[in-house]
Order: sequence, then structure tokens, then C-alpha cells
Amino acid sequence: MKKNIYQPIKAIVEEVIVETPTIKTFKLKPQEPLRFATGQFIELTVPGVGEAPFTPSSDPGVSDVLDLTIMNVGEVTSKLHKMQKGDLVGIRGPYGLGYPLDKFKGRDILIVGGGVGLAPLRSLLFSLFSNIDKYNKVVLRYGARTSKDLVYKAYFPEWAKKDKVDLLASVDVGDPSWQGNVGLVTTVLGAVPVDFANAVAVVCGPPIMMKFVTLKLLDLGFKHDSIYLSMEKSMSCGLGKCGHCRIGKYYACKDGPVFTYEQLKDIRDIWD
Amino acid sequence: METYFLKKEDILKFYERIAQEYELFVPVKAESLSKPKCECGPSLLTDNFTLKKFSQVNKEDIVFSDYRCIEPTRTFFTHYKEDLGTCFETTGLKEKKERPQALCGVKNCDIFALKIQDFVFLGGNEVDPTYKARRESTLIISSDCPVFKDVCFCRAFDINPYPVEGFDFNLTPLSNGYLIDVATQKSRMIALSLKDIFAPATLAQLSGRSAKRESANRRLDDYLKQYQIPKKETLQDIVLSGYNSPVWNEEMRTCVECNGCVFICDTCHCFLLTDDTSSGNARRLRLWDGCLFKNFTKVAGGGNALRLRYMRLRNRYLKKFDFFFSNLGIQACCGCGRCIDVCPGKIDIRRILRKLHESRYAPKEVTG
Repeated sequence: MKKNIYQPIKAIVEEVIVETPTIKTFKLKPQEPLRFATGQFIELTVPGVGEAPFTPSSDPGVSDVLDLTIMNVGEVTSKLHKMQKGDLVGIRGPYGLGYPLDKFKGRDILIVGGGVGLAPLRSLLFSLFSNIDKYNKVVLRYGARTSKDLVYKAYFPEWAKKDKVDLLASVDVGDPSWQGNVGLVTTVLGAVPVDFANAVAVVCGPPIMMKFVTLKLLDLGFKHDSIYLSMEKSMSCGLGKCGHCRIGKYYACKDGPVFTYEQLKDIRDIWD
Repeated sequence: METYFLKKEDILKFYERIAQEYELFVPVKAESLSKPKCECGPSLLTDNFTLKKFSQVNKEDIVFSDYRCIEPTRTFFTHYKEDLGTCFETTGLKEKKERPQALCGVKNCDIFALKIQDFVFLGGNEVDPTYKARRESTLIISSDCPVFKDVCFCRAFDINPYPVEGFDFNLTPLSNGYLIDVATQKSRMIALSLKDIFAPATLAQLSGRSAKRESANRRLDDYLKQYQIPKKETLQDIVLSGYNSPVWNEEMRTCVECNGCVFICDTCHCFLLTDDTSSGNARRLRLWDGCLFKNFTKVAGGGNALRLRYMRLRNRYLKKFDFFFSNLGIQACCGCGRCIDVCPGKIDIRRILRKLHESRYAPKEVTG
């Protein structure tokens, strides 16, 4: 029988974790193990509504359960946010290229996340932590609008205790309950303890944040091919066929979704 | 490749033989609304041809199509609405038990365009199985274009109005019959069974064909001079350097965003996967999509890289002349002119390319 490349496998919602008022993490159990490399994405089907692309936020070493951390912003996600344990969804993928961990070996790794953009980065963090000997240092700088919008707060104390890990969260607008840093994430990058010229930076967040973080990183002396950016596009097929996610000569679904700044710098309007 | 001669009166026998094995599509004249004369240049033929099932047409209505048909050839390989089954049921996937199709009236522009479709649906990380099955089972009976339509411009991109590859059979009309090229194993088997009507082509017939082809090239070249269409080698450069050109905005003034140009295009391929929930059991559909629709690149949350009309026109040209040159080494335009024919706003790809070329190589002097 011919394989239908557009058809998802079934997955059951095992657990729903409320991260923030608009963000939930869904633990999904696919009917067959789903192996992915950190940074690759999947197309999630909400039956009867449609599909949307998400990058798993869980440890790629675990293939029987998959975490997706998702903000309620569109048609698919609003239906998804109403789902509960036991509900049925579909998964196609994984698609795209993951983070090139080989190129990170022996280097300082600066990870910059904004809002729900920390989701794919958490998967990367799990990968790095499981082989921390291979890397020089992992520095995480995470920004969100307010303290209520920070995801994975429960993980921070555990991560902060790890060897070779440096972590700082910052919120754009402070409030009495927040003891940490206040300010856009770009403002805390100048002081990060990494060797700018030899470090890699991995950035994921809303386009406006990615733009200004990239400009800041360039300013600090990061090499163009050492800045990794997650590009947000409306990917429909995930296979490099449907034509929606073109960025210059690339398709985000096939050649990305992670690109180096070197790949993107000559393409116009990449932040739109 | 072998070449035979087929008498005019025997063409029906040829069709009937093909129809034994294939769902044969043949060209007929399309009943079309009267078309105003071309504003520039000589008055040209405006007949339209369309492909109909051989089994459903009056045999006397079948014609030799002088140029490409209205519908792009891709409609026979990716249908505009494809039912992929229910969300999860592999068994629900309509196993495409289609009769293999044979397409008459395919022209060299269409064959060029199939290179783009093949790249998309057969290349990349995954092969589209439905496309592959159709592509492999389809018999292509192409033909020369003895004349051209007012919108034809294949020669501007060095595509000739006669195919020399990419077909199973190719027909060249002569005064008393057809020369038939037999190019593949599939067509050879059929040719064998038609020995009584396929006579080996004579040298005189073959040299006659060469003369006709040269003449067709020359006439089209002469006609195209007025449009000053840039050479294909310059296309990538002019769309990239014209990124901020006012041309995009100027040309979009008359666009009504019908996406006719996209859907009639032989090289366009974009689609959207969506769920049809109108019936109780959701069906997964693959629909043709168009990059001139305003939501083509819209993401959840409202971001849209192509939010303005001129950006969408520019995107279409960047896809055709930048993306495909970078990835496949050819432009995604075959010069069929279908988009010019269909546009209610008279937006003309020949004019846009000429303007981009002019502003790149002969910028108007700034005065004052």
C-alpha cells in the first residue's frame, strides 16, 4: 500500500500542564515511538480543525512521550487548549533539521529565549544536559513580558544548580512578586559570561525579539554562522512541497526551521 | 527515437488504439466568450482549446490544437481538490484506482513546466505517491505548435514551440498527415501494434519538419521583439535587484486578487492541507493554494510576511525567478502566457519583467 505522506499517526493526550494563563504543555503519547532530533518540528493535528507546526519541548532521548508547549493564539491552538487527558490528536513528522549539536562541542553556548519560544530551547537544554561534558558552558537568558508569562518556572532551580550552567530570567515589566531582573532580554546580553567570538548563540522567540537579539549579538562579536535562529513561518506540509514557508532560496520546513544568521543575512525582510 | 508518418484520416485509429488502454484526453475548440483584439501588435488567433475525454466527445469535434490548451497540464497530475481520506484512516485513503490517462495536446511549454512539478512532488525528502503514480502511468502525446497565440512567449526563455524530449509520442502536423515521434518503451509497444498505419518517415518529410520548426521559431521571435522580454539569464538578477522597485505597486493597481494567474499557471504548485468538517467525519483535503491570497503566509497570532498586495506580487516573482533558479537552475515560467490570458486586470508578466529589466540596466535619469 502506498504510504500517505500527509497522514498523521494517532497520539493521546496524557497530561495537560498549565504553564501560564495562555500557555499549556501537552504530554502526548504517540501510538508508535516518535524519534526526533532536538530542533526538529512536528505537524500537530487537532481532528476536525486542522494542523499547525510545533517543535517538541521534551527530551529527544525519550521517544514514547512527547511534550508540546503551546500558546493559545489561533484556531488549532484554541481548540487544543480545551483538550483534556485522554483526547485524541495526530502527529506528522518529525520534519526539518535539528540543532547541529556537533558544531556546539567544546564551545560556550548562549541560549536566548523569549516567551513561549523557550519551548524548543528546553528540548535543546535536555540534550545538552545529558552530554554536558562535551560542551564548555551553557548560559540561558530567558525573557518574558511579566513573571506570570514565564514558562517552566519549576525547572529553573534544578537547572541553576547544574554544573557549567548559568541561568537568568528577566521580565519586561516587574511586579511585587518578582524578585529577579527587570528589562528586555537584550539588556542582559552584554554581561553574559561567554567568549563572544567563539561561542554559539541559539535564539527563539517572537520575531521582534529575535531581530533585536540578533543585532545585539552581532554587536557583541558573535560570528554570523554561530547565531542560530528559529524562523516562524506558516508551514503546512512540512515536506518542502506546499510552498508556504519560503525564505529566499530556502523552505523553513525543509532547510530549517533553524537557520544561521549567515544563511539569512542577505535575504530581505526576514523578520516580517 | 523512431519517427513515423501517419495519414490524416488515420488519426482516429491512433486515438482509438490509445483509448483501449488509457483514459484519453483530446483537444477540442473551447466555446469561449468573444475576446477583444490584442491592443498591441497584429490581430492573432484567439481560439481556445481544451482537453476533453475522448470517450465523451463527438469525434468530429476533435481538432489538432495549434498551441497549448486553456488548462495547465498540472491539473492532470495534482487535482485542485484532492481527498486524502479521513484524518487517521490509511484504509480511508482513496486508493487512487484511476485508469491511466493519455494526454493529447501537450505542448513544449507544458513539458517544461512538468520539470518544476516533478522537482516539487518527486524530489525533496518525500515523494508524493499520488503524483508519482499518475506521472508514471500517464502517456504524454505532445505536439508541435505550428502557430502561436498572442500571449505565447516561450521563445523568450529559449523554450521552442516543439518538444524534442519529455513525451511518449510527439505529433508534428504536415499538410497530409502527421509525423509521429516514438520515444519510450510504452509508446513503442503501441506503435508496434499500429504497423499498418505507421509508415516510416521519409527524409523529405523529416527535412520538411525541420523547415517548419525553424519557421515557427522565426515567426515567434519576430512577434516577441515588441515585448522586449529579458533573457532568462537575467531574470534572477532583475527580480532581486528590483526588490524595492515601484513596479510591484504599479502593477498591482488592477489586481482583484482572484488568483487566476496562480491557478492557471503550469508551474505553480502551492497547496494547503486542511480538514473539511462539513460532513460528520472530517476529511483531510489537499487544496491548491495561491500566494496572492492575503492569508497565504499568515501565522497564528496575526503575523503576515506578505501583508500588502505588492509584497505578494513580488513574492510570486521571487519564487519563480529566484527560488527556482537557486534550487533547480531554471525559472518557474514556461512562457505559456496563460496568466496573461486569464487576468481581468490585464497584468502582464512580459511587461513586468521588461520594466524590471529597464530599471536595472537603464535607470531613468533623475531630473530636477
